[in-house]
Amino acid sequence: MLLVEDVYAGYGLSEVLLGTSLAVKPGTVVALIGANGAGKTTTMRAISGLLRPARGRVLLDGNPVQGLAASRIARLGLAHAPEGRKVFGTLCVEDNLLLGAYGRLPRFFGFRGRAASDLERVYALFPRLRERRRQLAGTLSGGEQQMLAIGRALMARPKLMLLDEPSMGLAPVIVQEVFRTIRQLKAEGMTMLLVEQFAKTALEVADYAYVMERGRIAIEGTPAELRRDERLLAAYLG
Amino acid sequence: MPASIVAQMAISGALMGLVYALIAYGFQLTYATSKSINFGQGELVMVSAFFSLTLLDLGLSYWLVLPAGLLFGAALGLVVERAAVRLALEQKSEGWILLTIILGLFFFSAAENIWGRDDRPFPTPIPSESFHVFGVDVTPLELSVAVGVLAVMGLIELLKRKTLLGKAFEAVSVDRDAGELMGISAKRTVMLSYALSGTVAALAGILVSPITTVGPTMASALVLKAFSVAVVAGLDSGFGVVLVGMFLGALETLASFYVGSGWREAPGLVLLILALAVRPTGVFGKAAIRKV
Ligand SMILES: Nc1ncnc2c1ncn2[C@@H]1O[C@H](COP(=O)(O)OP(=O)(O)OP(=O)(O)O)[C@@H](O)[C@H]1O
Ligand SMILES: [Mg+2]
Repeated sequence: MLLVEDVYAGYGLSEVLLGTSLAVKPGTVVALIGANGAGKTTTMRAISGLLRPARGRVLLDGNPVQGLAASRIARLGLAHAPEGRKVFGTLCVEDNLLLGAYGRLPRFFGFRGRAASDLERVYALFPRLRERRRQLAGTLSGGEQQMLAIGRALMARPKLMLLDEPSMGLAPVIVQEVFRTIRQLKAEGMTMLLVEQFAKTALEVADYAYVMERGRIAIEGTPAELRRDERLLAAYLG
Repeated sequence: MPASIVAQMAISGALMGLVYALIAYGFQLTYATSKSINFGQGELVMVSAFFSLTLLDLGLSYWLVLPAGLLFGAALGLVVERAAVRLALEQKSEGWILLTIILGLFFFSAAENIWGRDDRPFPTPIPSESFHVFGVDVTPLELSVAVGVLAVMGLIELLKRKTLLGKAFEAVSVDRDAGELMGISAKRTVMLSYALSGTVAALAGILVSPITTVGPTMASALVLKAFSVAVVAGLDSGFGVVLVGMFLGALETLASFYVGSGWREAPGLVLLILALAVRPTGVFGKAAIRKV
């Protein structure tokens, strides 16, 4: 499904990714964990095209996508719920969701009807969003914004979802809710790459995990294997 | 001085002020999507007016020339985006400031070469005999300016709010990267905004030409007023530029009548200085004034 091969990327003169490689198989959830500043967000940006890799390849369903505009990659079936949620604060909740499906909706009229079943599905998953569908996204609580960011990504009917720290800054109860959603999506067969600070919880939902250190993958394995790794236990799982 | 004459002048001025508003609106459209504006916007107004005049000279009807002129303006907007803006934005530089000024100068000398330096009248089927309404005299020509400006701005605002394309436009304005992640091409959105901006510039030219005549310098004063309006109203409210534009237009007519015709430009200047003093870090101030 997704293959990242020896990717180098950075911001201007500062090189962040120094040969990152990872793979996500269809129908699996893969966790990407690591310390602050290790390059997890940068990896996601390099995959979704927000950042152009200086070297290396990103393959989506076997096709190279590195160097394409992020909007092109999104239309190939990759949905990226970015760090910090990045909802469109001046648009209402429902407009945010509709834009999630932008690639396959008519531009002028009739888009609401065409998106009705997808909206229904997202509202069923997040009833709170239905209650607030006419509210400006900028006025939502952090947890609601995160639900909106995930819902907006789902609207695209993606083949692969990238979730960057969906639990960031949320109260423990809400974090539980977010992870319940992730489990539910996994049960429905969604393929996901998940970046998380809560490494423990992430390993509970993941089928496979990568640990990043300074722009490279330092350790990888199944959650069971990683839990046996003493070094990792000390550094990330407390 | 009867109050009705004051009202008369204020209304005539305000109607002209709508042209400032329309040009300022063109700045807003591109600023929203790309944080850039075309400093040669006045030349788009002028070249589109000359182009339309040429079509009229060829014998085409005004009602055919109008859409053709607007399309021509859209095309010019795309040229500006491609030639002067895109590369600078890709490199995250402010090069578009200089490049749009230079492209404007190029359009100016091209227009002089093609159409000459003389001011020429712009024939229109809209009559200029005034009629009496609510105690003031207005001409259908002045009214056509108001109707044209408000109709086109209203239509664009409606499209922005009601269509998915409009919402995508807003999304890219709020967060370009997040918009890209939705599958919205930021590049095409910026192109669209420049095409729309060129269209409203052309409309301004076609609407104002029958009143002011057509010449290479016809838009230089207009565009300066539009800058003032954009600075005072801010670069994100279409409603704001309409209000400020009409206010400035009215003020100018009154100033030139009461103080003397040489004082016509004073209100714009005063308004601009006041706005910069009160809101020195206004959207526009940050983006352009400081850098130029
Ligand atoms: N826009 C940027 N410009 C310059 N440097 C950046 C930018 N974004 C991130 N960096 C740098 O790149 C490095 C990796 O950042 P990145 O955001 O990928 O880390 P992360 O693993 O996601 O961290 P966190 O857990 O804090 O989210 C950091 O040293 C950071 O300072
Ligand atoms: Mg991060």
